[in-house]
Amino acid sequence: MTDVIVIGAGPAGLAGAIACAQSGLKTVVIDEFIKPGGRLLGQLHEKPSGEWWNGIKESDRLTKEAQDLSVNIRCGVSVYNLEKEANKWSVHTNKGTLSASFVLIATGAAEYPIPLPGWTLPGVMSIGAAQVMTNVHRVQVGKKGIIIGANILAFAILNELQLAGIHVERIVLPEKGPLSGKAGVPNEVLKSLTDASKLAPSSFLRLGGRLMKSDGLRKMAIKFFPKNGVKMNGTPLLLRKAAVEIIGDQQVEGVRVADIDAEGKIILGSEKIYEADFVCIAGGLYPLAELAAVAGCPFQYIPELGGHVPHHSEIMETPLDGLFVAGNITGIESGKVAMAQGTTAGYSIAKRAGKGGIIDDLLQQAVQNVRTVREQAAIQFHPEINDGRKKIYEQWEELYTKKQNEYDDVKIG
Amino acid sequence: MNNIESVIICRCEEVTYGQLLSTAEKHQCTARELKLRTRAGMGFCGGRTCRVTVDRIVESAIPNISQAEIPLKYQPPIRPVSFGTVGDNIE
Ligand SMILES: Cc1cc2nc3c(=O)[nH]c(=O)nc-3n(C[C@H](O)[C@H](O)[C@H](O)COP(=O)(O)OP(=O)(O)OC[C@H]3O[C@@H](n4cnc5c(N)ncnc54)[C@H](O)[C@@H]3O)c2cc1C
Repeated sequence: MTDVIVIGAGPAGLAGAIACAQSGLKTVVIDEFIKPGGRLLGQLHEKPSGEWWNGIKESDRLTKEAQDLSVNIRCGVSVYNLEKEANKWSVHTNKGTLSASFVLIATGAAEYPIPLPGWTLPGVMSIGAAQVMTNVHRVQVGKKGIIIGANILAFAILNELQLAGIHVERIVLPEKGPLSGKAGVPNEVLKSLTDASKLAPSSFLRLGGRLMKSDGLRKMAIKFFPKNGVKMNGTPLLLRKAAVEIIGDQQVEGVRVADIDAEGKIILGSEKIYEADFVCIAGGLYPLAELAAVAGCPFQYIPELGGHVPHHSEIMETPLDGLFVAGNITGIESGKVAMAQGTTAGYSIAKRAGKGGIIDDLLQQAVQNVRTVREQAAIQFHPEINDGRKKIYEQWEELYTKKQNEYDDVKIG
Repeated sequence: MNNIESVIICRCEEVTYGQLLSTAEKHQCTARELKLRTRAGMGFCGGRTCRVTVDRIVESAIPNISQAEIPLKYQPPIRPVSFGTVGDNIE
């Protein structure tokens, strides 16, 4: 008999499973990848304190802790459907169906694609794929690369590629258009980078952040943005150049770029070709919420959280009885926040399962810890994350808590 | 520019940006209808690569519709599975 099925063995899922198991619940974790750890496996960076954040070590630590508590971690198992049958959740996988009263969905995030001419050529990949190949599979993705898309994720992974000795020539923007949205508009890109500047891995952006809060100054900054770009640890970031096409016969041979104005409009006659043998497209992340959707969970579109997120409370419950969520499925944040959210979800499930004792205290501490970790996060994907969180919790209050109170009143009265 | 129109959006079913855009503009349709008309997102991978792009095309082709109104509709199975898997319950 399994009490809890956790879908996803990333930081959120593993931390959730640990909290469940510590509370005495029999817990299974399922993940479709070959190893537990989720996106942690690709992460390697130096924290402002000078310490290193080594995602593989973190994954190993969490995995061992879970296994020591008898959590059953099953890798290489894909969940393709989730439904409620006879008061229990049925989790349908390619290795059969499991059932339990409680399910924690911790499926993480996926990358936004940015289609452009030539993007189906061999040698073109998403930035996340380059990270996985480099840090997880230890495969060299190429000798000379170009990143299309300037955002925090791209910078973090650029840094990892550099550490692995992989040469990235340049970062350029995608061409402005309906498929690239704000990612193709230099002013917008600079805004999002400077808002997140306390976290940006470049001292230029760090300094710039405080200066460029006003629109006028920002426009000036874009105007005077050096033509040769600003170096990010040796790789020029070219905010005034857009990728128009990826070229090559059998595989990537280069990228055709053009100069653009501050609003992303192409300056005619400015096209040139940069040679490359691999191209990474960095479109940003969105919550991977398919399973919550097939389970019937209602959603809200909150751009600050990365896209559509399932309705959930601060203690990680969804409106569906027994269904909980944690990690990037609830909004795009760092691995540490995901871990803290997972712990919260785990205690929340234990509470719901009727585990008494100190569970209330543990749950409260866990909720508080999520807030603290969020404040101190070394990497922040969206500058307005707090607004996004506020929206979704307020909505929960409005839709579910108030109703519950009315219901309780009726029952008592 | 023709170059952009010929960009493949759905790799499984080889549906181009031009096909999707002209269908969306002509029929002013939902993401679901756009998929049914063009087969984008209906191939082997189940739309895991092109889904958000298809939504963006709907957003750009239909005035006054925003991402917020495009419902998050998913159908099981959300991963490719064999007939055997969905048919029997392998315990
Ligand atoms: C490409 C990429 C790079 C990132 N880089 C950084 C970084 O450098 N620093 C940072 O702090 N954050 C980074 N992040 C953010 C990252 O998502 C979080 O740090 C953290 O890993 C989120 O944890 P999680 O547990 O929510 O999800 P994940 O770590 O993504 O784990 C989710 C797990 O669920 C599994 N899964 C999903 N669907 C199914 C299914 N249907 N069946 C079975 N298993 C399933 C996946 O295989 C995966 O292992 C990155 C994210 C991505 C996508």
